[in-house]
Amino acid sequence: MRILIMGCGRVGAGLATQLTDEGHEVTVLDTDAFAFRRLLPNFHGTRLVGSGTDDRILQEAGIEQTDCFIALASGDNRNILASQKAKEIYGVKTVVTRVKDPLRAELFSRLGLHTFSPTKVGVTLAHDAIFQGA
Amino acid sequence: MYIIVVGGGAVGHGLALELQQMPDHEVAIVELSGSRASSLRSEIGEMVVHGDGSEIAFLEGVGAGRADLLIAVTADDGANLVTCQVAKHWFNVKRTIARVNDPRNEALFLRLGVDSIVSAAGAVMAQIEATLPEHTIIPLMALEGSRLHVVDIRVQEGSPAAGRALRDLEFPPEVLVSVVIGKQGANVPSGDTVLQVGDEVIAVIPRESDAAVRKMIAGPTEGA
Repeated sequence: MRILIMGCGRVGAGLATQLTDEGHEVTVLDTDAFAFRRLLPNFHGTRLVGSGTDDRILQEAGIEQTDCFIALASGDNRNILASQKAKEIYGVKTVVTRVKDPLRAELFSRLGLHTFSPTKVGVTLAHDAIFQGA
Repeated sequence: MYIIVVGGGAVGHGLALELQQMPDHEVAIVELSGSRASSLRSEIGEMVVHGDGSEIAFLEGVGAGRADLLIAVTADDGANLVTCQVAKHWFNVKRTIARVNDPRNEALFLRLGVDSIVSAAGAVMAQIEATLPEHTIIPLMALEGSRLHVVDIRVQEGSPAAGRALRDLEFPPEVLVSVVIGKQGANVPSGDTVLQVGDEVIAVIPRESDAAVRKMIAGPTEGA
């Protein structure tokens, strides 16, 4: 699968490396070239410096041919803007969006994006850990 | 009317000063930066609120549920789009207006249900087009929630439409010639109306037909 990842933070870099290990064709975008240091040596995809909300960068990254777009930048709004662009303008089949704010994640999942909220997941994990330990 | 303005930069500040002159309206100005918010508050007053206008919980706190209009004018297109979508789909705000900083985002904003967009680049382009003789289609206004917009086109020398009746012209679909302004003043045209060189035509057209309509009514561009 051709996969485009927006944001090379810990999650983006980890996912990118795992996906290339699994044999997928991966491109990672980040506005800061320094972020690519997080990629492990066994990452053999493409790195591209630029913003995932910028059409010129998205086209350069091959958004028109990509099967999957994953928005993992630090800002919720940027992730939502880029994801809606990928889906509505470029017709990407699978679009996944990280939205930290649980309410915003809920709203945009209602509006048709596949969102997940690390905040909500974190709360659940922490809560369950307390009672499993007791 | 209750109006929420998100973004207290140059545009939001100017808007706040204008809206202050309209005492019948209740206005809230939302600014993300704490220091910017307090300097605005000392100038404009209590209507300035410090917070993240794209956050649902915050908007709830400023009473977005009873807002009639939300205007998002930050320098961040992501924030403007999300704020308008939250207003529309979470709080059922009747009307939303967004500033678009990157002109390439205009189509996406309209497609996703923002009622009106304000684009500095678009507005300046319209001014430039109005002064250049070869750019004879001037966008006047975007229509709410659709691909249609209102344009002004001048019939020039060499226009294929000049001297012909409207009924004989084959326009692209959804093109509606609404007003023809000639020497006799403005008229609502009929199929028999014959366009003359120098006439101005106000039409409602889909954005994607701009080039085709320009070619038909305005005629060939210089050097084209």
